Amino acid sequence: MGRMFAVAAGLAAVGAAAAVYAVKQETRRVESEVHALERAIERAESDIAGLKAERYWLGRPERIDQLSREQGLGPIHPTQYVRPPPAAKQSPSARGVGQ
Amino acid sequence: MTGAALAPPAASVRLRLLAVVLALGLAMAAVAGQLLRLGVSGGASGRVASLETVVRTFARPDIVDRRGRILATDVAANSLYADPAVVLDRDEVAEKLSRVLPGLEATELRALLADRNRRFVWIRRGLSPREAQRVHDLGLPGLSFRREPKRVYPVGALVGHIVGQVNPDNRGIAGLERHIDETAGLEAVSGASPPLSGPIRLALDLGAQHAVADELRLAMQRYSATGASAVVMDARTGEIVAAASLPQIDPNVAGAHLDPARPDRLQSGVYELGSILKALTVAMSLEDGLATLDKTYDVTKPLTFGRHQIRDLHPPGRPLTVRDIFLQSSNVGAAMLGLEAGTSRQLVFFARMGLLEPIRTELGPVAPPLLPERWDGIETATISYGHGLALAPLQFAAAAAILVNGGRRVAPTYLRRDGEPGQGEVVLKPETSAAIRELMRLNVTMAHGTGRRAEVAGYRVGGKTGTAEMPGVGGYREKSVISSFVGAFPMDEPRYLVLVSLFEPQSGEGTSGGITAGLNAAPVTGAIVTRIAPVLGILPRGIPVAP
Repeated sequence: MGRMFAVAAGLAAVGAAAAVYAVKQETRRVESEVHALERAIERAESDIAGLKAERYWLGRPERIDQLSREQGLGPIHPTQYVRPPPAAKQSPSARGVGQ
Repeated sequence: MTGAALAPPAASVRLRLLAVVLALGLAMAAVAGQLLRLGVSGGASGRVASLETVVRTFARPDIVDRRGRILATDVAANSLYADPAVVLDRDEVAEKLSRVLPGLEATELRALLADRNRRFVWIRRGLSPREAQRVHDLGLPGLSFRREPKRVYPVGALVGHIVGQVNPDNRGIAGLERHIDETAGLEAVSGASPPLSGPIRLALDLGAQHAVADELRLAMQRYSATGASAVVMDARTGEIVAAASLPQIDPNVAGAHLDPARPDRLQSGVYELGSILKALTVAMSLEDGLATLDKTYDVTKPLTFGRHQIRDLHPPGRPLTVRDIFLQSSNVGAAMLGLEAGTSRQLVFFARMGLLEPIRTELGPVAPPLLPERWDGIETATISYGHGLALAPLQFAAAAAILVNGGRRVAPTYLRRDGEPGQGEVVLKPETSAAIRELMRLNVTMAHGTGRRAEVAGYRVGGKTGTAEMPGVGGYREKSVISSFVGAFPMDEPRYLVLVSLFEPQSGEGTSGGITAGLNAAPVTGAIVTRIAPVLGILPRGIPVAP
């Protein structure tokens, strides 16, 4: 009886060790996945920051000014304003919506 | 019993012993394997861990304009460092690096790498991707890269004086960058992580800022001026929507803010601003009930103080009303108003307008006003027309805002303010403010007004000119002047205050040889208003528009 118990306990210990090992391996795998994701996020954030800076560098006013003048455009003159058409001034009535 | 105890172990016992030995052997092998693995791959992480205590950089929040356009942001960049203990041949490293990194001194680098007790030496911070690739291609042992945030300013010099600069650790050392460090605080980061805090939103409008800087640049060319500055301020809130001082500084160039040839004239210098101070003198007389716009003064003769005389550039030859003193910019008339009020009343009024005490903005302290050592008699007279008291243009702009906004004090700010305007203390009667607005508008619309060249159809500009001779050795220099125009628009309910100053302008196109503000600063203001009014959402009025 005692021997059976010892064998069973031994097997249980081996089984528990194997389970712990498996969990540990899984944890390591997940950890490395998390690190890889974190690195990917950091790279993406870094790319976004770089692209944002580049976008505003490309859109800097003196560049747009020069490009638009080359196209024959210029700052708006007070006489270039137009009155909005009467329809645009009226807000749509609730009854008209969806009809 | 004894014989049985000494008998050789049974086969099952040997088997068990063998199993135990094998298990122990396997366990030892596992431990040895793990140690071996750590020995091979664990060294680098240990070194990085020790590095973290040595190197600290800071993630900074973005700086954006009032519409969210980026003026300053962090990007990730590679910084190059060396571990002198691992460098094999420092001569080779110094020579090859100095070849691929311009400006790197091989001798200095060799000296840095000579100390093998040091495990960490910065070689160059914030490399461009191309520079980093060139260094990487050299394949030199002992060199490593570290990713860290690098501050960049996409619009460059356009906002250089305002945003300021940072040091290689990404800490603010000038302008708004320093203000961020002092107020918002920074996050120490170990890599190139973005900041957790939101952006710092400025009152500045990038479109208006460009228009102002561009017109100043053109004016400097047209009038061969040595410098120019302009500020556009919301007259109700003190928000600065555009501020430029030329020549500008490029914040992307390290140390640019230290260049003495490129000061921020709006905030860091004080100048005698000339006749634009007459607006204050007239306001003082009206406010204290000493005069009305129609009260007449005999300005036909110069005022004499000992051996000094106060005279007009173009003597009118007849008595002038207060209205005409303003419109014709009479020095004698302004001096008479000042003398009538007296020194103590003038001091109290100037103090109420915030002109005698130092002020500060987010960029730091504004240069304090330079008061005369003795303020009495002749000083009271000369200060009435803008000589004898030197002010930073920004401080004067804040006082001028009171004159046009109905009498409320404003504090100039580069940050966007939320909430209702008009919370400042009332320091001037609304009637006085209305009278000054009327005079400023007349000065632009009337045929003999000195500010008529500032008129822009539809935007109802008003203002006052001022031409001040600059001080030199032994007195004032007649040909070196600061031409200024303080204006506001739309004048029926002023929203924006504009102060333009040109430093040492010469005669140019359309000036007929003159260098007075009516010929140069006034038209520049008109050109600025033409361009910024649409950007700032001010609609023209009173001119035909397409149906």
